[in-house]
Amino acid sequence: MSQNKKFKRKATVKVLEERCKGCWYCVNYCPTKVLQVSEKMNSKGYHPPVFKENIDENVVCIGCHLCELYCPDFAIVVEELE
Amino acid sequence: MSQMTDMRKTEEEWLRTERLPHVWCPGCGIGIVLNAFLRAVIRRNIPKEKMVVVSGIGCTGRTAGYVNVDSFHTTHGRAIPFAVGVKFARPDLNVVVFSGDGDLFAIGGNHFVNAARRNHDLLIIAVNNFTYGMTGGQHGPTTPTGAYTTTTPYGNPDRPFNIPHLAISLGAPYVARWTTYHVNQLQNSIYKALNMKGFRVIEIISQCPTVYGRRNSMRSPMSMMEYFQKNSVINNKASYEEMELTYKGKIVVGEFRNVGGIPSYEERYEEIIRRAQE
Repeated sequence: MSQNKKFKRKATVKVLEERCKGCWYCVNYCPTKVLQVSEKMNSKGYHPPVFKENIDENVVCIGCHLCELYCPDFAIVVEELE
Repeated sequence: MSQMTDMRKTEEEWLRTERLPHVWCPGCGIGIVLNAFLRAVIRRNIPKEKMVVVSGIGCTGRTAGYVNVDSFHTTHGRAIPFAVGVKFARPDLNVVVFSGDGDLFAIGGNHFVNAARRNHDLLIIAVNNFTYGMTGGQHGPTTPTGAYTTTTPYGNPDRPFNIPHLAISLGAPYVARWTTYHVNQLQNSIYKALNMKGFRVIEIISQCPTVYGRRNSMRSPMSMMEYFQKNSVINNKASYEEMELTYKGKIVVGEFRNVGGIPSYEERYEEIIRRAQE
């Protein structure tokens, strides 16, 4: 990753929090680490992941859909930006 | 709107979303397999009324309740006989048997062997999690030698089933094995198998952190996934000895057999009906 190149965010990750069971495969397999374990809990007591839009100017969602493929609970929707 | 975003929207239509969240434990691999299966079906453009999902009893048996197509939750071990009946009554349908290792190979072992021998036109998705998950983690016919379960607290003395070897020896035209770590390869494998005829077997090594991983020093879902990641080797031309699963050893994955042109039982039966009518 070159320092001067700005990466543009390609997609938004939406988490359907009530379906999440907190296995955090998405957090571990995200190649750019834009998903983080949230502080708050859902109604079942699991900590769902939270999507960080701007952690760093180089850390952005690249729209690879890997979190969506690994999610066993159908709780992640990746919406690509135009 | 991109293709992948569209696919995710269509996937919601294929699920009975009012029943979600499902009963499977946190980190269970069956959800990953179902996700890959639905995506492969959507890519093949199979209409909902041409698809039947048959499943047996067990954790994986619950799949039939979550797919929004005609589905069958059958008696224990008898998923294949029910599927054969569906296929005979309506040969135009795509019949998929979605079941676990305990259902397909323990109580339903004889049905599996004989259906494979006759080459019925079915797609078998066998989710192998090494144990009987729903009943509390007893050892089953796919538990590796030496593994610790509730009924084998000093290590399992049995040898596990070598499922790809069993299916190949009975002449199944498509035999593959993947783990839940290989999400894309698994999806492509199901996509390929949906377009074939005959008895197609896809074994998926899945994680059960709740009852299997806990007794075998893989307590968290991620530690079981890391085990699959570090120990799986892709080898499409693996020998039968290499395909055998060992306790904490290498998992040989790949597409072991892919041959076309073998007539299925339904095709041979139609031929007999035609000859009898002449």
